[in-house]
Amino acid sequence: MESKIASACQSCSQFNANGLKKLGVSTDNFDFVIAIAGNPNTGKSTVFNALTGLRQHTGNWPGKTVVRAEGAFQYNDRKFKLVDLPGTYSLLSTSQDEEVARNFILFGKPDVTIIVVDAGRLERNLNLVLQILEITNKAVLCLNLMDEANRNNINIEVRSLARDLGIPVVPTSARFNEGIPELIQTINDVATGEIICKSRHIKNVNGNINEAVKKLSAEIEKQFPSMPNSRWIAFRLLEGDTRIIKALRNGELA
Amino acid sequence: MNTTSVEKIIALSRDLRWQIGDEFHDNLAEGIYADASEIAMGSVSSDNSKKRFRLDAKIDKIVTSKAWGFPIMILILGVVLWITIIGANYPSSMLADLLLENFHPFLKGLAASIGMPWWLDGFLIDGVYLAVAWVIAVMLPPMAIFFPMFTLLEDFGYLPRVAFNLDYLFKKSGAHGKQALTMSMGFGCNAAGVVATRIIDSPRERLIAIITNNFSLCNGRWPTQILIATIFIGAVVPASISGLASLSAVISIAILGIFFMFVVSWALSKTVLKGEVSTFNLELPPYRPPRFWKTVYTSIIDRTLIVLWRAILFAAPAGAVIWLISNIYIGDLSIASWTITSLDGFGFLLGLNGVILLAYIVAIPANEIVIPTILMLTVMATGIAGGDGVGVMFELDSAGETATILKAGGWTLLTAVNLMLFSLLHNPCSTTIYTIYKETKSVKWTVFASVLPVIMGFVLTFLVAQIWRIVF
Amino acid sequence: MTTYNPVYALLIFVAISTVIYLIFRPVKGWFWVIKNNLSFNEKTVIEDILKQLYHFENSGKEANIKSLTGVLKFKDHLIIDVINLMTINKLIYFEGDVLRLTNTGRDYSLRIVRVHRLWEKYLAEKTGIDKAEWHDRAEFMEHKLSQEETNSLASQLGNPVYDPHGDPIPTTSGKVAKVKGVALSSLAVNSIGKITHIEDEPDVIYKQIIAENIHIGSQIRVVENSPERIIFYAEGEEFKLAPIVAANLTVAPLDKTIMVEENTIRLSSLKENETAKIVGISKESRGERRRRLLDLGFVKGTQISIDLMSPLQNPTAYLVKGTSIALRKDQASKILIKKDESHGK
Repeated sequence: MESKIASACQSCSQFNANGLKKLGVSTDNFDFVIAIAGNPNTGKSTVFNALTGLRQHTGNWPGKTVVRAEGAFQYNDRKFKLVDLPGTYSLLSTSQDEEVARNFILFGKPDVTIIVVDAGRLERNLNLVLQILEITNKAVLCLNLMDEANRNNINIEVRSLARDLGIPVVPTSARFNEGIPELIQTINDVATGEIICKSRHIKNVNGNINEAVKKLSAEIEKQFPSMPNSRWIAFRLLEGDTRIIKALRNGELA
Repeated sequence: MNTTSVEKIIALSRDLRWQIGDEFHDNLAEGIYADASEIAMGSVSSDNSKKRFRLDAKIDKIVTSKAWGFPIMILILGVVLWITIIGANYPSSMLADLLLENFHPFLKGLAASIGMPWWLDGFLIDGVYLAVAWVIAVMLPPMAIFFPMFTLLEDFGYLPRVAFNLDYLFKKSGAHGKQALTMSMGFGCNAAGVVATRIIDSPRERLIAIITNNFSLCNGRWPTQILIATIFIGAVVPASISGLASLSAVISIAILGIFFMFVVSWALSKTVLKGEVSTFNLELPPYRPPRFWKTVYTSIIDRTLIVLWRAILFAAPAGAVIWLISNIYIGDLSIASWTITSLDGFGFLLGLNGVILLAYIVAIPANEIVIPTILMLTVMATGIAGGDGVGVMFELDSAGETATILKAGGWTLLTAVNLMLFSLLHNPCSTTIYTIYKETKSVKWTVFASVLPVIMGFVLTFLVAQIWRIVF
Repeated sequence: MTTYNPVYALLIFVAISTVIYLIFRPVKGWFWVIKNNLSFNEKTVIEDILKQLYHFENSGKEANIKSLTGVLKFKDHLIIDVINLMTINKLIYFEGDVLRLTNTGRDYSLRIVRVHRLWEKYLAEKTGIDKAEWHDRAEFMEHKLSQEETNSLASQLGNPVYDPHGDPIPTTSGKVAKVKGVALSSLAVNSIGKITHIEDEPDVIYKQIIAENIHIGSQIRVVENSPERIIFYAEGEEFKLAPIVAANLTVAPLDKTIMVEENTIRLSSLKENETAKIVGISKESRGERRRRLLDLGFVKGTQISIDLMSPLQNPTAYLVKGTSIALRKDQASKILIKKDESHGK
């Protein structure tokens, strides 16, 4: 991922405002499927509403979006279907919310996954980001609540963050519609392949476990050479995730 | 794909799992967080990142303090309910005026002019239309006021603090602190309260919250309580304090409901729903000023209209049934008179009467039409003058006229007290029952949640009636 | 209506309620008694006898018919009938008065013990069932699961070696790991160790241990050992136990030099305006609840302090990684911390 693209997004020069059409709930005949993931209380649903023009209720309350909400927008003649996933802290546990979010990203194979994070609590939010990047590398980080972060004197080096994560990073304040055009442009670019992401994989895994993961993912790759997330599958198998074992057996992951 | 090699992978994963032991998840979680802090360190800089926004901390110190935590909570709930009840009066009577006083006669006239047969006109206009109109007039204004206010508090971030403050009490009764919110939501509408239980993760605690939500006195029942309290409780004390007396009677009923909610939660968690340990972890998000108009708009669309629509769907057939049972005759008596007579004995045992029991049966779809149905049935059963005709629900402008009719129907102070108790403790309305089924996907729990409060209502009113009769 | 009298009505009501109570009251209600009597069968009795004999054998005691009828809750004549049947089937044999397991009998008993402990492990890891209930539920399930189901359960759980009480789970081939350690009651003053096993029978004593909030895996230091009581420190708290209760705790003695957790305390004892670093989560927090805590950022090395106390002092909101997270006291007691030397400003 090259930093020059990220900066181009920020300058907004490419954004074609006339090409944008918010489609609300009509989600037929789309070209791309976009998933929105993120921690609770990061303004995920606000981003969703800003993109689709829908006015889904956004609660300042964890676990609000329990059912999957869907919407759509059109940009430069391409139709994007948006799926708002439940807000979760992680994808490693087995709560119902996490299962819904995890299964959609893994089996639904969205063209782009937008990860909404709270700019003021980046470290905590990165837990989920790093997990998602193990599953998919077509992702955009939406650094939301920038207004709050600025008010609290928190500065974020967007470029170095994008470099570290290997995905585009777009700062936004979705409540005030700031940064949304840039976000749309970036989603478009990742979906169409104009931006190629090279997402970061978790590094600090302790030696013993790392060995096991390497061994197992090598074995998985041998069997499924095209699988992009063999390492993550290995993590799940080591955890004894029955859903993933089932998926391996019935070929859902191939 | 090769099945044996997939099995080989799975077998390998089992061996490796056994080798690395059960620390795996801990290590992985620690590893990810270590990565996260490494990345964050590289890109985040802040002057005082550890300090939360100071106003936030100040508000939190006050709203969760020992001295102010509970008073503020009670005050806010009280103000919300007060604004709802008082504020809904005017638009409610306006809607009633429009839909019941003006549009209903207009429809009747229209039907007459096109020569509609009396039974079709009665069935459709006096039955179905009137029930729907009533539900809209009584239900829409309070909900359109209550839900936006509730949502504003939610968006602001106050509600998680309520759960935080009250969790200890809920923990004692084996439930989850977030049940405090679904309970408060139930004061607006039980169906909405049941939907709101989605915020509770654990299935067991969620079920407790669903079953006990009915003990929150909902908007549909407040008017009944207020009317009956005004007529009967207010009348036994000197006029100067009658307002106060009837108000405290209604509040006592609401508090009794909260008491039953705790007791039943506790009993459930000790018996049919025992087993799972209750846990509680809750993020207290920062306060965020809500965007007023957007919140009002979305909460009306999301909550009010959906609930209203469901209520209308259920009220329409109820209206039809009310009209039919009053107008279909078996021998000399209409079905309604016949049922009232046969329910009178049981009703007497409970300190109620057949009319009330029948009204509660036909008004399962919507508690809003209980009083109009009772009035109509009382007039029919006693044969006194008044009302708009057989099978036509009505309400009177003054409490005095209502009192006259009810007293003619044999009502005493005991009837009034027990009606208030029964209005608190009876099956949820059909909208709520349907919602419980949609949320639990279980017939067993839906039936349980519907029957439990009725049985409690029977037992309580029965006991009150017997003791009352022994004492007085 | 002429016969109506509120007093009679009340009396009838009381009578009916009493009958319903007698029939359906928990455990001793007639309904349950009859139901349990109907559901018993020979297999259950055989398996319970085998299991008891295995426990006798393991603790080095000898069993005869009298000691068996003492511990089992079946009728005496039934037990004797079944014992006769079992001797015929060569599961057990008599050596004088003493009952012993044959090799087949021992294998069978190990299978039962395996199911029992695996089920307890399952309840601990995969469900939120209260630990006071594990034993009874496992007592029920041990007669239900087939060998195949047991093995698939074991592999789903990652073939665990110990159950949540610290008891070893026999493998399919009947191998049993050793529990390291000695009874807490036998430890000398000032000795240091780690709790490796908490016996869950008899129920009365186990309930006391649970009530004391003693956690498996925690490091302890004995400060007093007298015939009246045993006092020890663990995770910054002081515990007093009667010797009979302490005898049900197994402790693996540790060398003083490897005692690393001396200053480790429970998060529940952190005070306002103090800061600390998380050392880890106690073994007592299991399954989904443990994972949830980790996901919320309660991981080793994280800075933590109290953000808010609720008006009733429980739960408490902790500031972790920039966010305020509320936990109940019992959960906070399972997070281990080390206080920072100098308090925050």
